[in-house]
Amino acid sequence: MSTRVKILSLILFVVLLGSAFYLRVLTRRIFFRPPREHTEEVARTRLSEAALQSAAAPQQTATLYFPSFEQGNLLEEKRPISWSESETDRIRQVVLALIEGSHQGASRVLPPSAAIRAVFLASDGTAYLDFSSQTLADLQPGIASESLAVYAIVNSLAANIPAVKRVRIVVQGQQVDTLGGHADLSGAFAPGPARLSVSP
Amino acid sequence: MHLFNEPRRRLISPGLGAVLTIAGGLVVLFWPTRSLRSDNFVFYLPSTRSIIPLETIEQTPYLPLIPVLNVVGKVGAIQEKRDSLKVWFGDIPIELHLDDKRVRVGKARLTLTQPVRRPRTQWLVPVDFLIKVLPQITRDTVEYQVGAHRIFIGNVKPISFSVRLDPTGNGTRLTVQFSEKITVNTAASNGKWYLYLGNQPVEPLEQSYRFQDANISEITFDDQDGVPKLILTPTASGLNFYPTLAEGGKILLADVLKPPPPAPQHPPAAGQPAVATTPGTTTPGTPTGEEVATAEAGPALPVVVLDSAHGGDDLGARGRDGVLEKDLVGQLVARVRLALLATHKYRVVLTRLGDTNIDLEHRETVANTARPVAFFSVHAGNLGLTAPRVVVYSYHAPTPFLAPESEGPKPLLVPWPMVFQTHLEQSRQLSLALQQKFGQISGVTADPPAEAPVRVLRSINAPAVAIEVGSLTEDADSGPLTNPGFQQQIAGAVAAGLEAFRGGTT
Repeated sequence: MSTRVKILSLILFVVLLGSAFYLRVLTRRIFFRPPREHTEEVARTRLSEAALQSAAAPQQTATLYFPSFEQGNLLEEKRPISWSESETDRIRQVVLALIEGSHQGASRVLPPSAAIRAVFLASDGTAYLDFSSQTLADLQPGIASESLAVYAIVNSLAANIPAVKRVRIVVQGQQVDTLGGHADLSGAFAPGPARLSVSP
Repeated sequence: MHLFNEPRRRLISPGLGAVLTIAGGLVVLFWPTRSLRSDNFVFYLPSTRSIIPLETIEQTPYLPLIPVLNVVGKVGAIQEKRDSLKVWFGDIPIELHLDDKRVRVGKARLTLTQPVRRPRTQWLVPVDFLIKVLPQITRDTVEYQVGAHRIFIGNVKPISFSVRLDPTGNGTRLTVQFSEKITVNTAASNGKWYLYLGNQPVEPLEQSYRFQDANISEITFDDQDGVPKLILTPTASGLNFYPTLAEGGKILLADVLKPPPPAPQHPPAAGQPAVATTPGTTTPGTPTGEEVATAEAGPALPVVVLDSAHGGDDLGARGRDGVLEKDLVGQLVARVRLALLATHKYRVVLTRLGDTNIDLEHRETVANTARPVAFFSVHAGNLGLTAPRVVVYSYHAPTPFLAPESEGPKPLLVPWPMVFQTHLEQSRQLSLALQQKFGQISGVTADPPAEAPVRVLRSINAPAVAIEVGSLTEDADSGPLTNPGFQQQIAGAVAAGLEAFRGGTT
């Protein structure tokens, strides 16, 4: 076999190899199956586990914030919580308490169907909250309702867990533009004002 | 194989190789992209309209058989063999054979101009199937103009129109006369003006009109997306377009005017960007003869952008009595638009034309290309049980940002997500001006100006505020919000607030 034939064969082999690889990439794109969503039951079970694990610990007073749409601000509410040791579990506990709703008649932060899929706390103090898509579907849309909901979560976490400096909200593991069409979720939220209105 | 053993002989000479490479490149470059064509066929029926994509095979347009039959009526059984298909439309059997022009409909044999095809899994019939076979299988009248990509089935009376251009002193007057009253929405995109001709079916006499005019070169009719519209192509950029409806909506008059030289007695407001007079700043909406500012030649008017926060599939909030936010904000935006036009001081650009789906980027693009003096996004939501109530928001960044040093050099480029910073103080002033006007409305609670991370305000290169009326929630009655008197007062307050803001900044 001459050198020319060898070179041509080599080129042909490389082209075929490249084509096979490209075909594989294309096939993956076409037949891509998204990962199965965690069901609400799974998310709720994980939340309950976090709460149950801390049942034996002594209770401490937690500060939670709930919106008042009438006044356009956040209302503070004290509630005894048996804190877990881990900070991510504490974050879960706070979010669970917010989902449970106010004991003093304030408005809801999150719908009862809300579920948190995962929690991460980065070393820079950014807490990542991964909510289920059902949370968004049942959320009441609006500028005031979304903004107050976000600040209720962020302020409640920052008030009870000093390590949390910022909060980033994602949905089904994905970054989303807005919570329900209004609140800007493109970045992390620092603890914000308890009142949206500013003095003229 | 012995060829390769001779070192001086080559498989392909370098010259021939180069020629083949160039020829191959040219073939790839100019190969007709038939599969990328997106021609549609629109079926107009009395209560619905359907869009079916056309497929072109050997320059002949084809329609998929089963979708077509499903649009016209109901397909019963389907019996498919290797090279034939038998479909029962009601109780009428239709039999086709692959690559055969003959079609059997019941007992009748019909011949199409082109053979039936099945390039993949779909059976395709040439368009003349519509005029040869449809009248045989449906009792409805079928109206089809050969060559057109639309068909009217049943009791559908399409509107027709005639077009005329007349030169005027410094421009051109377009007159479009319709056979019925019509509503027209205007928009501008890619240097062209779009006249959306309402929701009624329209059958043009001609698909396009070409003119030897100084200002308009072509007018094309298009309904490929099911929305009838006229597309006007201006001969140059920088022309102003002033449409009005006359005779109750039967005649559209549109003046296309060259922009006059800037008048020194009307200097633009300090700090305000120059207003572009390109088609991108055309006033969209639903103009009528009484509502639209008189189309007089004069200095280009400042642009105000109005944003309906919800529309299309995005319903927004819902009231206890079923009122949807998208409908409510649509009404409010229409009233604000009229109130602004009535001042004869502004042109208005809408981010959303009608009940359509648009994304955030589109809203930002429309707003920023219009270079407005103010941007209003209108919302309705949960504001507690006190109603009616209004809150005006300017943007509040989720994370505090560092204000640029006033003495330092200004950055050459500002990232779009940070554009709000440039106008933050003006947005707050606009918010305050509006709140003061809302506070003067009797019976309406106007909250102090607020700040919130409203996403749509973030990348607007202008003073931008969001107006939220409430309460629109399932716990409250939305009656006060749908009251025309309330809406009119809100619209008037927006116009007055903008005037106060502009007066304060000039």
